[in-house]
Amino acid sequence: MSVRHAILGLLAEHPRHGYELHRAFGSLFGEADPGVKPAQVYTTLARLEEAGLAAHASTEQGAGPEKRIYDITDEGRAELNRWFSEGVSDARSRDEFFVKLMTAVNGGQADPRRVLQTQRTTLYRDLHSITAHRNRLDPKRQLATILLLDKAAMHLEADLRWLEMIEARLDDVRRQPPPPAEPARRGRPPKRAQLDPSEEARDGARETSEGSGATAAPRQKDGTWR
Amino acid sequence: MAIVECVDLTRTYGSGDTMVTALDHVNLQVPDGQFVAIMGPSGCGKSTLLNLVGGLDLPTAGKVLINGVDLTTLDDSKLTELRRRKMGFVFQFFNLIPVLDAVENAALPLTLDGVKPDEARRRASEWLVRFGLQDRLKSRPDQLSGGQQQRVAVARALVAEPALVLADEPTGNLDSRASEEIATLLHSISHDYGRAIVMVTHDPRIAAYADRIVFLKDGAVVDDTKISEGHGVDEARGAMEKAGLL
Repeated sequence: MSVRHAILGLLAEHPRHGYELHRAFGSLFGEADPGVKPAQVYTTLARLEEAGLAAHASTEQGAGPEKRIYDITDEGRAELNRWFSEGVSDARSRDEFFVKLMTAVNGGQADPRRVLQTQRTTLYRDLHSITAHRNRLDPKRQLATILLLDKAAMHLEADLRWLEMIEARLDDVRRQPPPPAEPARRGRPPKRAQLDPSEEARDGARETSEGSGATAAPRQKDGTWR
Repeated sequence: MAIVECVDLTRTYGSGDTMVTALDHVNLQVPDGQFVAIMGPSGCGKSTLLNLVGGLDLPTAGKVLINGVDLTTLDDSKLTELRRRKMGFVFQFFNLIPVLDAVENAALPLTLDGVKPDEARRRASEWLVRFGLQDRLKSRPDQLSGGQQQRVAVARALVAEPALVLADEPTGNLDSRASEEIATLLHSISHDYGRAIVMVTHDPRIAAYADRIVFLKDGAVVDDTKISEGHGVDEARGAMEKAGLL
């Protein structure tokens, strides 16, 4: 999972400050949300800036502490494109593909279909290599290795079938806005009566807009969902 | 040289409001000896493509060249002759003749082409023996397992020494072990005997035996990718490492 690239993907959509980036993670990646801590977002931003991939464009001065608004640089865009063009074949970072796909779906800097096809080619090449290797082994002497290779082949097969399923439903995913980011709560969950009334009003509005259903809510400039 | 060349291949069914475009300007070349898998969701045009390449159906527009010969210019008898001599067919349900034994089934394309029975039997037996069926030469289809029947069907597809084998879901009616055997056989036909294979399948593990995968969707090629670049031990080790097995 590449937090760097996910952040670059979010910055490529529009400039944001750290807090906004942190909130966007959960809403964009759903269950694949890597559970990034706010501190990690700020250190990653600092490293991206050091590497020349992002820059803080302006500083918003409000009543509270200053907020740095970060933007992606040309080098950052180039790095993001390189990331989109690569398949992910390491099983231990399989979610990286999902994050990559969702970044493409939401940001629009890469064609999600192309990202999916690149991933499929990567997995098929791995499956071809494993199959070819397996068939060179002698079942009378090397059955243990063959069985181990079968395990790898079956995992790849499952991943490929999953890609097929995503491909069939990609347009639906693209039409469906991710849920609005839930602000992280600390401590005991508040009782219903203690909820901020403005928040309740927003929840109600969300239900009706979802209930009316068919048309996807367009995204607003500030990254929230109408 | 390309054994198969499809140029703007288009096939529609029906007309007016009910017209369905099964294949939409497909361009595809298959070089001699290449093993190609055709994949895609049902209704994407896989079988239509295979039928057009095999001369079993005619295009609405565009053309199919086999070894440089345009199928759309041939009359029925010329087309039948070309199919029998240049192409072998393997189907999902084997399509063996129940009253004939393995040798007679495998020899059929030669017998139909006027080859002397002894010669036809000898050549058919050679392929059956290569495919490990030396003890089943006299067996009728109902005495053979699914995997054995399909091996007879592959022998029948190769007996006339065609340069091209077309396979439509060849493992669709087999269990996973027999499927792997048939896929291994097809791989060997391409790599050891230099025949081009165009295989329609929906099974990723079977498609992985091919050198190249062509993905169709709504009658058009959406992706065409070579998957056999380097399949030495190193690549396999790399793939296993990445799968967390080493």
